[in-house]
Amino acid sequence: MKQRLYVKPELCTGCRTCELACSFTNTVDGKPRRSRIYPLPAGYPDMYVPVVCLHCDDPACAKSCLVDAITRNEETGGMELDQDKCVRCMACIAACPFGCALLDTQYDQVVKCDLCGGDPVCARFCPTKALECRPAVLTTRKKLAGSSS
Amino acid sequence: MISMTINGKVVKAEKGEMLLKVTRREGIDIPALCHHDAVEPFGGCRLCMVEITKADWDGWKNYVTACLYPAEDGLIIQTHSAKVNELRKGVLDLLAARCPNSPEIRELAAEYGVPQTTLEEVPDADNCIMCGLCTRVCERLGFKAISTVGRGHSKQVAPPLNEAPPDCVGCISCAQVCPTNVIPYKDINGKRTIWEKQFELIACKECGKHTITTDFADALCERRAIPRDYFDVCDDCRRKELSLKMGSIVAWSREGTS
Repeated sequence: MKQRLYVKPELCTGCRTCELACSFTNTVDGKPRRSRIYPLPAGYPDMYVPVVCLHCDDPACAKSCLVDAITRNEETGGMELDQDKCVRCMACIAACPFGCALLDTQYDQVVKCDLCGGDPVCARFCPTKALECRPAVLTTRKKLAGSSS
Repeated sequence: MISMTINGKVVKAEKGEMLLKVTRREGIDIPALCHHDAVEPFGGCRLCMVEITKADWDGWKNYVTACLYPAEDGLIIQTHSAKVNELRKGVLDLLAARCPNSPEIRELAAEYGVPQTTLEEVPDADNCIMCGLCTRVCERLGFKAISTVGRGHSKQVAPPLNEAPPDCVGCISCAQVCPTNVIPYKDINGKRTIWEKQFELIACKECGKHTITTDFADALCERRAIPRDYFDVCDDCRRKELSLKMGSIVAWSREGTS
């Protein structure tokens, strides 16, 4: 079943638990700087947005990858990066319009959110359910137009 | 699905999958310098040699490069037998004579018992092992800016006519995949120099951080239909932009409901 990571900034308290959970799951030494999710201030008092890869339907990272190292995992619906295929040209980092393909400077490799293989740890640890992973409900423009008429 | 025996362990694999891929998936460390998953297997460095046999081969054995040998049902594979290690030692002895100053080669050679080459070292060695991975990756990316030129002793990796390559876009993939880190490049003051060609790096509109070269971005826009303005801002500023935008949407919806 295709999963979607739903981000609800109105519930986020900026506790940064997701950042810790991600860095301890996906990196060797659990440094928060190496996390794939960034809770950032949203420009209003007490409002934070956990910025994470949105696994776009038309992903610029996969389009920019000339060796096709970024592909969609049809099982989980997440865009995954094959480290062995990556040639580190950094095109995806520059191309992503949300800045969610990241460079891990410690190990000199490109990293991005891969939905933890269908069960994102950040969503499991989020105390306010600002991050929630559930099967994708596709509401494309066509469907919306159809339902309103 | 077929089953093989690797170092005494029964392993499942897809038919036709290369042995190196199977062993890497199983976590067996086979040295390979010329292999990269982005390009077709090449069998240039000969370090991934393994011993194969089958139950009905009457004790006959064969030594093949794991990166080029497809998986078959009933193969019995030894990845670190005495004979295989001896073969790798021989190859590493030659490589250590060719590239005596390369730390990567020295480390690998020492691991297989060659702390010092037994052969005569090449004078003025340049650490390139001639695996051609840089040229193959460049071709895979579709630029074909560099290639191997010359034959025999004078063979080397170079741009056409040893001039600044016209097709190079400065993506530095060749330097990134090089197993002995021998391709030099410099990023100074927003200018990147590789293969004696100078490129302009894109500076982020918000913070001035340098990302990829303008030529590479133009090539991506042309070939993959990515809007050019995607490359104007760096990833850090993009994240900030996204959080501010989402914040304003949340604030707007709060106003609407209250």
